Amino acid sequence: MIKIKNLCKSFGDNQVLNNITETIHQGDKVVVIGPSGSGKSTFLRCLNCMEDPTSGSIFFDGEDLADLRVDINKHRQNIGMVFQQFNLFNNKTVLENITLAPVHLKKMTAAEAKVRGIELLQRVGLEDKADVYPSTLSGGQKQRVAIVRALAMNPKVMLFDEPTSALDPEMVGEVLDVMKQLAKEGMTMVVVTHEMGFAREVGNRIFFMDEGQITEQGTPEEVFGNPQSPRLKDFLSKVIV
Amino acid sequence: MNFASKFDVFWELFIVQGGWKRVLSVGLVNTLLIAVLGLLIGIVLGTLIGAVKVMPKYKLLPKILDKICTVYVGFFRGTPIVVQLLIGYYVLWPLLGITISPLNTSIIIFGLNSAAYVSEIMRGGILSIDPGQMEAGRALGLSYSTTMIKIVIPQAIKNILPTLGNEFIALIKDTSVVSFVAATDLYKTFTEIGNVRYEYFMPYLAMAVMYMILVFLISCGIKAMERSLRKSDKN
Repeated sequence: MIKIKNLCKSFGDNQVLNNITETIHQGDKVVVIGPSGSGKSTFLRCLNCMEDPTSGSIFFDGEDLADLRVDINKHRQNIGMVFQQFNLFNNKTVLENITLAPVHLKKMTAAEAKVRGIELLQRVGLEDKADVYPSTLSGGQKQRVAIVRALAMNPKVMLFDEPTSALDPEMVGEVLDVMKQLAKEGMTMVVVTHEMGFAREVGNRIFFMDEGQITEQGTPEEVFGNPQSPRLKDFLSKVIV
Repeated sequence: MNFASKFDVFWELFIVQGGWKRVLSVGLVNTLLIAVLGLLIGIVLGTLIGAVKVMPKYKLLPKILDKICTVYVGFFRGTPIVVQLLIGYYVLWPLLGITISPLNTSIIIFGLNSAAYVSEIMRGGILSIDPGQMEAGRALGLSYSTTMIKIVIPQAIKNILPTLGNEFIALIKDTSVVSFVAATDLYKTFTEIGNVRYEYFMPYLAMAVMYMILVFLISCGIKAMERSLRKSDKN
């Protein structure tokens, strides 16, 4: 579904991603773990070109997203993204947040989008919040709305950039539950997270990133049960209590 | 100095002979017209310039637009408004072979002038919005300009409304120079009253009071607006 070829990304002299080649298949639940500064978020943000790769290719739907001539807006409609800081549109109500893009990009009529929006809100238990502004929501509610906003575009793949890192501990569960539900329904997902329990339970592939490369990967059993490199062992010993 | 007689002269001309009617219906109306329409032009044009200023500049077109805007802002902030009025009325319009009335000239020039200042206010307003708002829009597949127009600029305008109010006050006061191109504003109508008996003491004093009342009323409006904005932030 997404083919990554020789992906490199530098910020000035700082090389953040170092020649990553990887394929993400339909239905994959990829969980990216690793120490901070290892390039996890940058890797994820390169997949929909929120960061333009310095070199290399990202093939999605048969086109190279890293090619500047490709209409990136068209492809981003099929790649949902959820941010650490939620980034809900502050000047729009919850429902407007959800319907804005599908209606503006002519994926649905206003009426269809509204029905779909309410239906999605019901799934995450927030239908009563449809007409309020984001500033009145809790962090967990905001993130559930942000997930719904991305889903409203009917994306083929969902990217999650540390979706629970900015949440109070007691709100992490409600967001992870929504993501688990999504995984069960077969959504292709790439998740950067520090929630090792989630990685173990939901992921079918775990990428361990270190110094801009995916240094180790495998099923949760392999990565968590039988880590090979000293760096991964060291990392796991620190994050799993 | 005989205050009583100065006052009597003014009272005779302003109240008894009805001089106040022209002051209000022509002078005040024109002053407000120039300031209000000028600010509206300034907001529209200034928002465009401000948006150009914050555009990412990888491509050629934004770079060229940015240079044009820099020259524009440099000119209008670097020369006195009186000079801009004179250049417009006595140089630019004849060069273009068009005739524009003094009042309309004043509205246009004040609009163009105010755009330069509003663009800087707007640029600051746009930069004050969390970049995450733009990212979220782009990640959904919306274009840069759509996200700017639908998401970022509305939030920026809300943040800078009080500052725009101050720009309005500055405009009101600056309009007192439009008589340089023979437009009739508050200053001009009070001067006309003075001209009748060459007695300017009371007319100009009354004019000062009038400007102060005007500015005071606008400041009250701005304060009320700030309060209601703060309230809506809480909800």
